Amino acid sequence: MTSLVSARNVSKNFGSFRAVDDVSFDIEKGRIMGLIGPNGAGKTTLLKAVLGLTDCQGSLSVLGLDPFRQRKELMKNICFIADVAVLPRWIKVSQLLDFLQSVHPNFSRERAEELLAQTHIKKTSKVRELSKGMVTQLHLSIITAIDAKLLVLDEPTIGLDIIFRKEFYGNLLSDYFDEERTIIITTHQVEEIENLLTDVMFINDGRIVLDSPMDELSDRYVELMAGPDSAEQARQFKPIYERDVFGKKVMTFEGVAREQLKGLGDLRTPDIADLFVAKVKGEAA
Amino acid sequence: MIRTQFALLRREFWEHRAILVVPVVVAVLITLTSLTGQVSINELDLIDIGIAGATNMPENAREAALSVLMIGLSSSFIFAMWILTIFYTLDSLYAERKDRSILFWRSIPVTDFDTVLSKLLTATVAIPLVTFAIIVATHILVLLNISIWIEFRGGSPWHLIWASVPFLDNWAATLVLLLALPLWLSPFIGWFLFVSAFTKRSPLLTAALPIYILPLLEKMLFDSTVLVETFFERSVQMPLFAGIDNMELLFQEGEDFANLAGTKLNLLSLMDLGSFIGNPQLWIGIVVCGIFSAAAIYVRRFRDES
Repeated sequence: MTSLVSARNVSKNFGSFRAVDDVSFDIEKGRIMGLIGPNGAGKTTLLKAVLGLTDCQGSLSVLGLDPFRQRKELMKNICFIADVAVLPRWIKVSQLLDFLQSVHPNFSRERAEELLAQTHIKKTSKVRELSKGMVTQLHLSIITAIDAKLLVLDEPTIGLDIIFRKEFYGNLLSDYFDEERTIIITTHQVEEIENLLTDVMFINDGRIVLDSPMDELSDRYVELMAGPDSAEQARQFKPIYERDVFGKKVMTFEGVAREQLKGLGDLRTPDIADLFVAKVKGEAA
Repeated sequence: MIRTQFALLRREFWEHRAILVVPVVVAVLITLTSLTGQVSINELDLIDIGIAGATNMPENAREAALSVLMIGLSSSFIFAMWILTIFYTLDSLYAERKDRSILFWRSIPVTDFDTVLSKLLTATVAIPLVTFAIIVATHILVLLNISIWIEFRGGSPWHLIWASVPFLDNWAATLVLLLALPLWLSPFIGWFLFVSAFTKRSPLLTAALPIYILPLLEKMLFDSTVLVETFFERSVQMPLFAGIDNMELLFQEGEDFANLAGTKLNLLSLMDLGSFIGNPQLWIGIVVCGIFSAAAIYVRRFRDES
């Protein structure tokens, strides 16, 4: 299988600060990859490198192209929403459609108009007259109308209320995603996209802490909620992270079979947010 | 490439409404002024004297007077155009960074080269052409307006105005001037684009300060005035008019003007396009503009906004 995105030893420095530190990974076609990390972890820098917006060291190939040097070629097959508020405020919806129609070879105006017809967005409106939620709808409609192979979403729903966020991801799955398309997404609201993802990558201090398909997480990781008496016994299995919840110990294990922990407490697969904390804090400890 | 460039140019007109609004406002002001001017002349009962005088004028002198009137009108537009060009170029690569829409523009398959080129073409070709079209319309409106008054007072507008106006000569000369001026001033245009691409705040100040401070420093450190002379000559002396100072040209009285050109006024023949195009200063300026534009492309491409 050929990778859609392939990174080998990619690094990016800002002066003496190493924002991305020797990162290697592959993303295959038809996947939805969640890129999770705290602020300043290097997520945005890594995405910018993938989008050809910034140069980097190491070898990075996106759709078989060098993203920085072949950005124009790349942008025919990539879309991205970097932030909700980046559509130019002075432009009219109809002008935006006209413009994309004339410069973007893979933009379908019919498709965009179909999608916009389902919203309350008027084609005569300027972006500055639309609410934040509508701007996002507009942006997503445009993106969906572009027949792109890779969609990159960097905090696409920041500042939106919960109804819009739910709708956004719903539309993304129903209107956009199919086996031919690939999505990379970053967000702080991990729990909202957890069920969407096929793959997840954790990044911290510029390094990849975890890179796994979602359906393998339950084989590799287990979370145990143990009472005070069984905690000591559980520690023999070397949890990667331990925290207190209501007087109980919650421990996260990596590569420990569930059978071995049976009887020590309640077992479950950690959710992404908890697993992230466990991986990041566990590594630091 | 051409389709993309066309779309990008159209985009500039959408974003920078001033490209149309500024010359239209000048046109409206001039047309209104010409209306009120006629009214006040009428009140002083001067228009009849004017008509009588104009009727007795020799053909050449009448032509020259009308041509000077039209040049006078055009000069207001040219002044406004230069102000517009300064503000447009300073804003062109700054606004998209300020409102962060640069992230959207860069998500589209358009190179930074194409984008900066579209801004350069807007400043050097599109703005002059729009200005030209509006100048022509204003000339016609003002002359119509004068004609109505002459007709009203019993003169012959056809004889006095329409048969005498050297339209082609005047408009051709205006167009040449409008297109030559941005080329001559292109090092400034390139500088403004570059400032617009890199400055974090107040592009106007950032662009203007070096133009003032560098000559001052030069004077203080080396006691020489090379820079101030370079800037000044670039601003006022365009080598398009053979041996005539172009600023003076605009202020010539009609009759002197006619004398200057001999019996029949021909604006085009006053221009020496060959020596303008052959002037090394012009080409040095264009190269400087190219260097600044390349720097603007480089900054837009390589700077990480995060």
